[in-house]
Amino acid sequence: MNADTAARAASSAPTVSPVSPMLVRLADERATGALLRDHGTLYLSEGRVVHAESPVAPGIDTLLTTGGRLPRDGWQRAVDEAGARGAVGRFLVDSGRIGGGELEICHLGALYDAAFFALAPGSGPTRFRYGVAHWIGPVRPVPAAAVERETRRRRELLDQVWPYPAVDTSPVVPRAPAPGQSVTHRQRALLELADGVRTPAAIAWALGRPAFHTLLEVRRLAAAGLVGTPPDPPRDARPVLPGWIAEVSDPDIGLLRRLRDALEASL
Amino acid sequence: MPGIDACLHEIMALPGARGAAIVDWTSGLALGTAGESPNGDHETTATETAELARVAAEYPAFAPAAERIRPEAGNAKGPPVEDLIVTTRTGYHVLRFVETTFDSSVFLHLWLDRDTGNLALARLRLQQLAERLVLA
Repeated sequence: MNADTAARAASSAPTVSPVSPMLVRLADERATGALLRDHGTLYLSEGRVVHAESPVAPGIDTLLTTGGRLPRDGWQRAVDEAGARGAVGRFLVDSGRIGGGELEICHLGALYDAAFFALAPGSGPTRFRYGVAHWIGPVRPVPAAAVERETRRRRELLDQVWPYPAVDTSPVVPRAPAPGQSVTHRQRALLELADGVRTPAAIAWALGRPAFHTLLEVRRLAAAGLVGTPPDPPRDARPVLPGWIAEVSDPDIGLLRRLRDALEASL
Repeated sequence: MPGIDACLHEIMALPGARGAAIVDWTSGLALGTAGESPNGDHETTATETAELARVAAEYPAFAPAAERIRPEAGNAKGPPVEDLIVTTRTGYHVLRFVETTFDSSVFLHLWLDRDTGNLALARLRLQQLAERLVLA
């Protein structure tokens, strides 16, 4: 196992180009601010990733409120009280609304989830706004290199499970299990929402689960033949915008505005 | 309970503790790690232990239908399995599922030295820590 790990590290170090060269550079210079990309934003503090958001991935507010952990107005109250001073996370813990550990678990899940989509290959510009901080405030900063590695690992994991990316963005169409084939508890919850219209991302929002977790589960289901695998679109006919952009039920207006501003500023 | 790092710190205070991690079993991501890792790389260990945890958490053999429908369980969303114990020639591994009130898939992993570790004590302690980790 050691030899294997070492071999993999050696083979990945020189040949694999970074997921985002700009992120690597910003981490090296210990930058603070917001990294704006096509599919999301990464917030850095002294070179470490403190928060991430993407229109595809349910935010920490959705993860906490959809499952019933926090009432919606409890979340809103925290944002109103502590948003301006950038300490919503701290406020949620200090006011006894959520435990410190639970907040960290949920926030890290949301951070890596949004980062996976924010760092997706895209043709648009990457911009960095120095000094910008997110209102959630510090929860548990992670090294930029860890976010890079995890994003790459997640891409490989999806393809190991079932190498058909069309599954990620198409409506989920359930298929009857074969005799004797079992469906797990979490898969059943997902399949109950698969109505032939919802995409994996839409199901993630409805369940209050990270979007990557849902993509992965849908690929596992597709590999098991429990959901259909749509044919890959011909390479030339690929749409300029990924399909999920049209599917997102709750776009992050603030993020879209910042993206527009960033685009206008660069033109 | 202050958070992930404090929890890992307390786990590492157990006699015979060699390494500890908190891992998401759907994705295989290590949310936090402490001490050594059996194969020298906490991230690889996390993906491997996550596979084991996922199988245990999801296979119906460990989740009788009657157990899933327990109204008194309230908001509990954790798997029916509480913990897994793997015994090797030189150590023990204890995987303890963490029950959160939002939809998550997280467990604590403790690697214990076989000679100096106390499996019964470690198992009880992990249970307490998993509960305190999500306490408001």
